[in-house]
Amino acid sequence: MLVPTIGIEVHVELKSNSKVFSRGKNDFNDDINTNVDEIDLAYPGTLPALNKDVITMAMKACIAFHCDITRHMHFDRKNYFYPDLPKGFQITQQDTPIGRNGYVEIKTDEGIKKIGIERIHIEEDTCKSIHSGKQTLLNYNRAGVPLIEIVSKPVIKDGKEAMLYLESLRENLLYLGVSDVKMEEGSMRCDANVSLKEEDSPVLGTKVEIKNIGSISKVAISINYEIERQKKILESGGKMKEETRRFDDKTETTILMRVKETGNDYRYQPEPNIPFVDIDDKWYNDTVESIPTLPAAMRDEYEQLGISSNNINTLIAYKELNDFYREIYKDIDSVILANLLTGDILSHLNKNNIELKDTCLTKENILKLVTLLSKKEITSKQGKEILPYLLTTNNSVDKIIDDLGIKGLDNSELETIVKNVINANNQSVVDYKAGKEKALKFLIGQVMKETKGQANPETLNKMLIDLINKM
Amino acid sequence: MTNYLDLELTEINKLLKAKKIKPIDLVEEAFARIKKDELNDFITLNEKAREEAKALENLEVDNLLFGIPIAIKDNIVTKGLRTTCASKMLENFDSVYDATVIEKIKAKHMIIIGKTNMDEFAMGSTGETSYFGNTLNPRDKSRVPGGSSSGSAASVASHEVVLALGSDTGGSVRQPSGFCGIVGLKPTYGCVSRYGLVAFASSLDQIGPMSKNVYENAVLLNAIAGLDEKDLTSVKQEKDFTSLIGKDIKGLKIGVPNYYMSDVIDIEVRNKIKEVLELLKKKGCEVDYIDIPNLEYAIPLYQVIALGEASTNLARFDGVKYGFLSDQEKLEDMYTYTRSIGFGAEVKRRIMVGSYVLSGENAKTYYYKALRLRHNIVENFKKAFKKYDLLLGPTNTNVAYPFNRHLDNVLQSFYDDLLTIPVSMAGLPALALPVGFNKENLPIGLQIIGNYFKEDEIYQLASAIESELKLDLKIGSDK
Repeated sequence: MLVPTIGIEVHVELKSNSKVFSRGKNDFNDDINTNVDEIDLAYPGTLPALNKDVITMAMKACIAFHCDITRHMHFDRKNYFYPDLPKGFQITQQDTPIGRNGYVEIKTDEGIKKIGIERIHIEEDTCKSIHSGKQTLLNYNRAGVPLIEIVSKPVIKDGKEAMLYLESLRENLLYLGVSDVKMEEGSMRCDANVSLKEEDSPVLGTKVEIKNIGSISKVAISINYEIERQKKILESGGKMKEETRRFDDKTETTILMRVKETGNDYRYQPEPNIPFVDIDDKWYNDTVESIPTLPAAMRDEYEQLGISSNNINTLIAYKELNDFYREIYKDIDSVILANLLTGDILSHLNKNNIELKDTCLTKENILKLVTLLSKKEITSKQGKEILPYLLTTNNSVDKIIDDLGIKGLDNSELETIVKNVINANNQSVVDYKAGKEKALKFLIGQVMKETKGQANPETLNKMLIDLINKM
Repeated sequence: MTNYLDLELTEINKLLKAKKIKPIDLVEEAFARIKKDELNDFITLNEKAREEAKALENLEVDNLLFGIPIAIKDNIVTKGLRTTCASKMLENFDSVYDATVIEKIKAKHMIIIGKTNMDEFAMGSTGETSYFGNTLNPRDKSRVPGGSSSGSAASVASHEVVLALGSDTGGSVRQPSGFCGIVGLKPTYGCVSRYGLVAFASSLDQIGPMSKNVYENAVLLNAIAGLDEKDLTSVKQEKDFTSLIGKDIKGLKIGVPNYYMSDVIDIEVRNKIKEVLELLKKKGCEVDYIDIPNLEYAIPLYQVIALGEASTNLARFDGVKYGFLSDQEKLEDMYTYTRSIGFGAEVKRRIMVGSYVLSGENAKTYYYKALRLRHNIVENFKKAFKKYDLLLGPTNTNVAYPFNRHLDNVLQSFYDDLLTIPVSMAGLPALALPVGFNKENLPIGLQIIGNYFKEDEIYQLASAIESELKLDLKIGSDK
C-alpha cells in the first residue's frame, strides 16, 4: 500500500521593532519603501547589525517547541541571484540553527501525537515583488524583516494532521507574542513537501514541494489533493519527478511551477561580518522566565474549570477574547463568562466584523452581568437582552436594567410573592403534595405571571418546593 | 608654488595655529601638485575642498589634523563625492552615507582632496586593473606604484597630500607603500571600522593610514581607530598609538621568520633588511631567525578564502539598485550583461574562482579546509608572539617593476603578496617602512609585524629605525 510522507516548512515573520540586520523599522504595512536604510538597500560598504531581540524571540519559539538550543551559533550566507534579494545573498543559519530536535503535540482521533521539528533557524526576509504588467516593482519595507523557519520532520501522514500541526504552531507563536502569524497577510507562510512510498519501503519516494498556500485549511486541501494525484500516477505505473507546484485557489488543485534539475547550489558560507553569538545562562534563563502561559496549559486549566471543549477551542483561537477572559476569570463564574464571550459577544464581533477593543464592553460591566447571572438575580434570557447595550453603549448594567424595565427580583421580594400565591391556591398545594406534578407547574405559572416573568425559574422552583414542604 | 606639503605635520600645524597659513593654502598647493605631477593617482578631485577649507578659517585649530589635506582610496564611501572602486560598475555612484572613518576624519576637520585611483575593487597589486587607467609610480613613471592602494601611495610619496587612507586585504596598503617609499600600516583586524569600506574579503579587509613618516601614521591611526557599533567585528580599545614612539628599543625581542628571508626574495632586498637587523642588534635588540610553520600555504589559502568572500560580496552589483545597468528584456540577460560589461577582467576572474571554491562539494574540499588551515596559521603566529615582541622581514619580494609584467601571468601577481598575505590571514597588524634604496634608486620596504593591537610597539620600533637611518625620502632629492 502507498503511504504519504509529508514534511512542512513554515516561515514566520517576527514582530521585533526593528529589522534583524539593520536599524530599519520592522513594519511592512507602512507606506511602500519608507522603512528602508542603507543596509536594507545593500549599499556598498554597509555591514549587518544584529538585533538581539530577534534572537530572544526565536529562542522563545524554540523553548515553546521543546527544541535543543544552540548556545554558540553563527550565521551563513545563502547565495543566489534574484531582484528581491538586495545583497545577492540571504543571511541565514545553515550550520547552526538556533533550535533543533523539537516537537509539538497535536490531538488526532487516535490520541495525542508528537510532530517532530527538525530545526528552527533565523533568517532575513527579501523585498516584496509587485508585478504589474511587464514591470516588477520592489518594496524594500520587507527586506531584512526577521523570519524564523520551522522545518518539521517528515512524519505528517495527511492533510488533517498537517492542519493540526500548523494550528498548534500558530497558536503557540501567537501566545508567545513573537508574531502575528497571519497566513492571509503573509506573516506566516507554509510550503509542504509530499511524497508517497510503499508502506514497507525504507526509501522515501520522490518529493513534490507545494508553494503559495494561502491558509491553514488550504494546506490540508492541497496536501490531500497532491496525495491523490501522486497515487493515481504511481498506481498507473507512472514515475514521479522532483518538482515544485503551486496551489491554485480557484480550482483547489496544484499546478506545476518548475521541475527541479540538479540540487540548487547556494554556495553556503559563514557570514564573516557577524561574530559568533553566545547565548549565556542569564540570557537563556531570562528568556525561559519570560515565556507566558501557553495554550496547552490553558486548555488543562479550562477543562478543570468545567468549560466545554468547544468553548475552550474558541477562546484559544481568539486571543483577544482569551486575553480579556484571563484578566477577570478568576474573580467570577468562569463558565458563564466563557459562554458569554464565545457566544453572543463573539457573534456580535463577527457579525459587525470588528474586534473586542472596538466595542464599549468594560470589565466592570461584564463582571456585574456575570455576577447577576451567577446569583440568579437575572435570567439568562434577560442577560441576552442586556448584553447588546453593554457592547454598544457606555451605560452601566444597572442603568440598562432600569431602561429595559427589567427588575432584578431579589429573593425576599420573590418569597413574598411565592407565599401569596401559595396562600391563594391552597388546592394546588394539596394536589402537589398528593403527587400531582402538574399542580406545581400551575403554581410556577402564577408566580411568573405576578413577576412578569422576571423570576429565575430555577430559584423559583427550589423556593416553591421548600416552602410547600415546610407547610 | 608653495612647499608647505613638504613640511612635517607638526610644522604645518604650527603655521596654521600661528595663522601664518590657512587651510586653503594647503588645498591650493595640493591641487597644483596633482595637476603638475600627472600621475593619474586621483579618480575624482573634491570640488568642494576649497569651500571646506574656507569654512575652517574661523575655527580654532584644535588638533594636529586640523585643515590637513588627505587623500581617500576610492573604495571608501563619501557622501557627495562619488565612489567608483575604479570600476565601470560604479562609474557614477554616489553614496548616501559617509564611511565611519570619513565621519571621524571630518570630525578632526581634515580636508578630503579627492578619491584615489586603485585596482578595481581592490583586486590587484599594480594599479593596472583600474577602469580609469594606470597610476604612475612617482619615483619612476615607467614602473607600477603597487596596489591596490596605488593612488593613495603615489599621492603621499609625491607630497600631493600629507596623509592618505588605503585599504589592505592581502597587502594593498603595505605593498604600494613599499613600492613608493612611504609608511603604510595595516592595523589589527577589528582596529578600524570597516563600515563604508566597499567589501572585497570581509574577514581580511582593514582600512590603514599611509604617511611620509611613522609619527604621522600613528596620529592618523589615533583618529580612525576604535569601536564602531556599525561594525560588529570592530574592537574597543582606547590606546594612544604614539605613546611608545621615542622610547628605547633596547631589549626588544625580534623574530625573523626564515620564510621572509628565503632566496625567493631579491638579494638586494634581503641585504638591506640584514643591515637593519645588524643595526637593531647594536641598539640592544635580540634578533633570532625562527620557523613559523605553514606560512607557505598563505597564498593558496588567500585565493580560496578571499576570493570566496569576494564572490558573494560582489553579488550585490546587479544593476537593480545602483551602479551600471545593462537594460535587457530578460532577467537572466540583465544579470549577464550588467556584470559582464560592468566588471573588468580581473574582478570577473576572481568572482569565478571564488564561486568555484564555494560550489557544492568544493566547499568542503577547498573552502572549509582553508578555514581550518587558516586557524592553524593563527595559532603558529600566536606561538611566535609568546617568545617575541615583534616579527621582521621585507614587505615585498622585490622593488617596483615596470608596467605590463604580469599581463601574461595572472598567478604571478599573487606572489607579490607572498610576504603580506600571511599576516592578513592571521589578522595581525603590520607596517611597511622604507629602509633604503636599491642600486636603481627604488625604495625597499621593511615589514614590522606586531601582536594583536600592538600597533604602538610597531611604531616604537619603526620610529627608532627611522631616526637611525635618517633617509631622505623626498622625490627628486639627492640621495
